[in-house]
Amino acid sequence: MVALTGRGRSRRVTALALLGAVALLSTACGVGSSVLDRDLLVIGVKPDQPGLGMKQAEGEFAGFDVDVATYIAGKLGKNARFVATPSSEREKVLMDGSVDLVVATYSITPERKTKVAFGGPYYVAHQDTLVRASESAVAGVRDLKGRKLCQVTGSNSWRRVKEERKIAVELVQAASYSECLADLKAGKVDAVSTDDLILAGFATADLKIVNAPFTDERYGVGIQAGDLDGCEAVNKAITEMYLDGTAKKLLQKWFGKSGLALTFTVPQFEGCG
Amino acid sequence: MAVVVPTTGPAPAPSPSRALRLRTVPGRIRAGAGVAILAVGLLSALMGVALAHAGDGLQAIGHTAGPQVVATADLYFALSDMDAQVATVLLAGEEGRPGRQAALNRYDQRRAQADSAVLQAADLARGDPTGQMTVRAVLDGLGRYERLASRALLLDEQAPHAAGPPSQPALEVYRQATDLMRLDLLPKAYNLTLDSGTVVRHAYAAESSAVLAGRFWVALGGALVLAVLVALQVFLTRRFRRAINPALLAATVVVGVLTVAGILVLQRASDELRTAKEDGFDSVLVLSRARAIGNSLHGDESRYLLDPQRADTYEQVYLDKSQSVLYVPGGNLDKYYAAVDQSVAAFPGKADFLGFYGSEADRVTLPGQREALAKVLTRYQQFQRDDRQMRQFATTGKNGDAVRQAMGTSFGAYDAALVELTAQRRQAFDAAVAAGDRALDGWNLLLPGAALAAALLILVGVRPRLAEYR
Repeated sequence: MVALTGRGRSRRVTALALLGAVALLSTACGVGSSVLDRDLLVIGVKPDQPGLGMKQAEGEFAGFDVDVATYIAGKLGKNARFVATPSSEREKVLMDGSVDLVVATYSITPERKTKVAFGGPYYVAHQDTLVRASESAVAGVRDLKGRKLCQVTGSNSWRRVKEERKIAVELVQAASYSECLADLKAGKVDAVSTDDLILAGFATADLKIVNAPFTDERYGVGIQAGDLDGCEAVNKAITEMYLDGTAKKLLQKWFGKSGLALTFTVPQFEGCG
Repeated sequence: MAVVVPTTGPAPAPSPSRALRLRTVPGRIRAGAGVAILAVGLLSALMGVALAHAGDGLQAIGHTAGPQVVATADLYFALSDMDAQVATVLLAGEEGRPGRQAALNRYDQRRAQADSAVLQAADLARGDPTGQMTVRAVLDGLGRYERLASRALLLDEQAPHAAGPPSQPALEVYRQATDLMRLDLLPKAYNLTLDSGTVVRHAYAAESSAVLAGRFWVALGGALVLAVLVALQVFLTRRFRRAINPALLAATVVVGVLTVAGILVLQRASDELRTAKEDGFDSVLVLSRARAIGNSLHGDESRYLLDPQRADTYEQVYLDKSQSVLYVPGGNLDKYYAAVDQSVAAFPGKADFLGFYGSEADRVTLPGQREALAKVLTRYQQFQRDDRQMRQFATTGKNGDAVRQAMGTSFGAYDAALVELTAQRRQAFDAAVAAGDRALDGWNLLLPGAALAAALLILVGVRPRLAEYR
């Protein structure tokens, strides 16, 4: 009997010791590198997209993407530092680890998913059409037939109209969407077609969004491939952002005045694994 | 005795009486036997903890959370099929009267399925307030959806029409219903499945690393006990100039066999756990998602015909979903059809596609699985060909033909092949879980029994030697 009680006690003690050892072991080799291990998150945003990510004169960034990223970092219990990330470098900076998260109108696509992972989408934008407020004959993308559409160098949005939908538009070149807007107001083009959130960022009283969406652009939170824990934490944060009403507040704050039909319910996530 | 000394650390505390006892031969024998029995106890504790982890892992993946996750994946399918059935009824019009009741029955069936899946999801979300709120939101939304859907159906009955778009009032109510479903309920249902998949992933990661660590500790513990027993044996042989002590030898054999068997069973359990997770569970989940999305794909065909004003949107959504199921580059449907034809023809020689089927093609691990996947892909290709035909009918004004084409059999055939492939994976999953359970079976008796036997043998072994000093 002596042996038995001794064994019982030693079992408890060793079980405790073992649990400690196992916990140490699993934290040591279980997690590779996750954004959850960092104290400060470096977050890539756009520097030149009004309403989404815009660098201010004081060097701060402001916009919907920036607010979403701040919220996510807060939910993860981290501080955030924002850096301007050009579209062409989004995969590169995530893969080399110089940026932890990218929240920069970053559409989730299968090709990109071969290189990086995506939390979210935090919003599903749609390609839509912006016209002058006085325009009454354009109710949808098909009504652009025979009209002048702004074509921004390097952007694919015009292809969705002219090539994918085979609508006979007349393309007018411009260097940027800001230039398109000026052309639209000046009457040099009849319509600008791209993601509705981008259009909403530009919208002013003399312009209107047609509200006839014809694509889904799923804006995701780019994260290093393989960081499942980080990606799942981001998804949880986005779910909470919609549940606690922050998403609605932020969408209205940045795009409410544009007259755009906004969606206030959580988007369908891409999945981390 | 060198090996014994460090481990006796806690036992012979610096109390003077004990130190005194260790100087006498019977004292040393007693101490040696005590240390050996303690070491056996330690080994059985280590093994018990590791086996418990293996059991917990199998329990979570094989019996509780795992199957529940698969059930929540059915939620998405059930919901999207409810909406597809409503679209079918609205689209069919007068000539589709016979099929109307069948579609409505299927709607009720899916509704019941959705209800039970919501219950599973609620159960999985215990302890996760965010998940619980999502489940509640899905329930609320489902009630609203049902009201809208029945109003749309009622309005449709009041305004008979030929196959094709229903009356404007019916269409407007249906738009609200389908928007609620597609933009609000389905995303939430999908996210719930992903969330509960996370629960399983965490359980798996924690338990399987605990089992592997446990295997290491069991090996170490076993080596320690063996060393103690050998040392005791050597001490007794030298001190008493006797041949080998048979009881101690038997104890050594028992401990050795127990250790090796323990390591093997832990290895086995961890292998089966991995098979169940990676070859079974992960695939079943991916395929359930593919099936759910595929089903809403079929619904998008009906909606495309149902609502000409939104036809562009539904066509684009159809393309996006098709690409998440089987991704090949192609900016528009025409290019996509062509690319699908090419990639499916190249399979199984080459799998140059991504998406759900891409990830499934990447982990062909079961016999017959490649063939089953090839069959799914061929039927998917046929479904896409019929879709192309349907859109051609629709754009050339042949509405009736288009509706008949959309309601053709190619989707059902594709879905059946997918169900078959999923069943194969499900079998692998069940088999691995059962094998794991079998491997662990009996250890709850075997382990304490063997440990007790070893302890008794040690006592039996030292008893005659101690008797010599009485």
